Amino acid sequence: MQYVLSFMKAWSRLLLLCAFLSVPAASFAQAATKPKAPAPAAAPAPAAVAPAADAPPSTDAAPAADAATAEAAPSAPDAASPPPDTRGLDQEVQGLKKDVVDLNRELFVLEEELLFPANTQVAVFVSMDVGDFFALDSVTLKIDQKEVINYLYTPREVEALLKGGVHRLYLGNLKVGKHELVAFFSGKGPNDRDYKRGATLKFEKGIGAKYLELKINDRQRKQQPEFEVKDWE
Amino acid sequence: MQRLCLAAVTFCAPAMADTSYPLKAHEAPDFALHAIAGGNVRLSEHRGDVVILSFWGSRCTPCREQLAALNRTLATYRSAGLQVYGINVDDDQTRALAYAHGESVTFPLLLDPEKSVSRSYQVDNLPMTLLIDRNGVVRNVIRDYNAKSEELFLQQLRALLNE
Repeated sequence: MQYVLSFMKAWSRLLLLCAFLSVPAASFAQAATKPKAPAPAAAPAPAAVAPAADAPPSTDAAPAADAATAEAAPSAPDAASPPPDTRGLDQEVQGLKKDVVDLNRELFVLEEELLFPANTQVAVFVSMDVGDFFALDSVTLKIDQKEVINYLYTPREVEALLKGGVHRLYLGNLKVGKHELVAFFSGKGPNDRDYKRGATLKFEKGIGAKYLELKINDRQRKQQPEFEVKDWE
Repeated sequence: MQRLCLAAVTFCAPAMADTSYPLKAHEAPDFALHAIAGGNVRLSEHRGDVVILSFWGSRCTPCREQLAALNRTLATYRSAGLQVYGINVDDDQTRALAYAHGESVTFPLLLDPEKSVSRSYQVDNLPMTLLIDRNGVVRNVIRDYNAKSEELFLQQLRALLNE
């Protein structure tokens, strides 16, 4: 209940901030555009990426430009006056934007606490070391005989794992008691052969969050990869 | 006269593009699929690029023509930040593999044997091509392939690359 209340409170704050943010942003835009002379109608169009030269250059552009400069001429003294200082306003807008980002983060944390309360939370992480004997392709995770996730790893993600990154593969809820986790690792093994191995762990979920790690290591002596499930107490 | 033609193209273009597609102007559903050439591809890793997704089947002749056309398009616009993916929806993947090995398509051909991605993109026609902008939003869908639709498609692609 407490979470719900704080969640709603954070949402209302975020909405209020958004409303505030839209007002100065609009006035800032107005202030920034006001002193300028009317934009020349024949400003050169941004260059097309392609041989977009399909459209021939318009010959009507030149008279339009003349007309625009003729219109702009009487307003020349206005353009000469110094533009209003909008730095303060800009800083205010930046501050408000930062508040929105902070609130968004707060909301994310609250949402996670609501969806995955600490007493039922289970998180499974994947880490990899060296990777000379195994190129990871996918991991399938089963908890209590039920497939909960099948994750395909892209080369970028594998690279990140090899650099020491840890990937949160699964976040879910489990009731207190005994459970079984089975993980299947697919990829290329030694000599570039298709390789699939499994690892199992029977664990007991108590009160409090449970963190499990699927570790992929190289076993130099056997010239084979090794898969291990580690229970973080 | 030129202005008249330009106006005609501008007004006709949205009419020819499919406005009934429910995912249009929405964020493209993320996916990860196996590529025929090996490795996996995840859509969300290509934020910042304009992405073309083309759903195809090996029995569909226009699909093959379109894949060849997309190959040419990619060769032209790759340096401007274009990525192209062909997603095969065949039940029997051997035909898809045979096609992939026989044709010199330079972009990744992905396999969707469970049709999960096809379902999430509500594919109801082959070929079906989606244009996804640099922010990951579906900007347009083309449910047919012919010279006219290709021209329109290229116009939209250039506009997206220029954004």
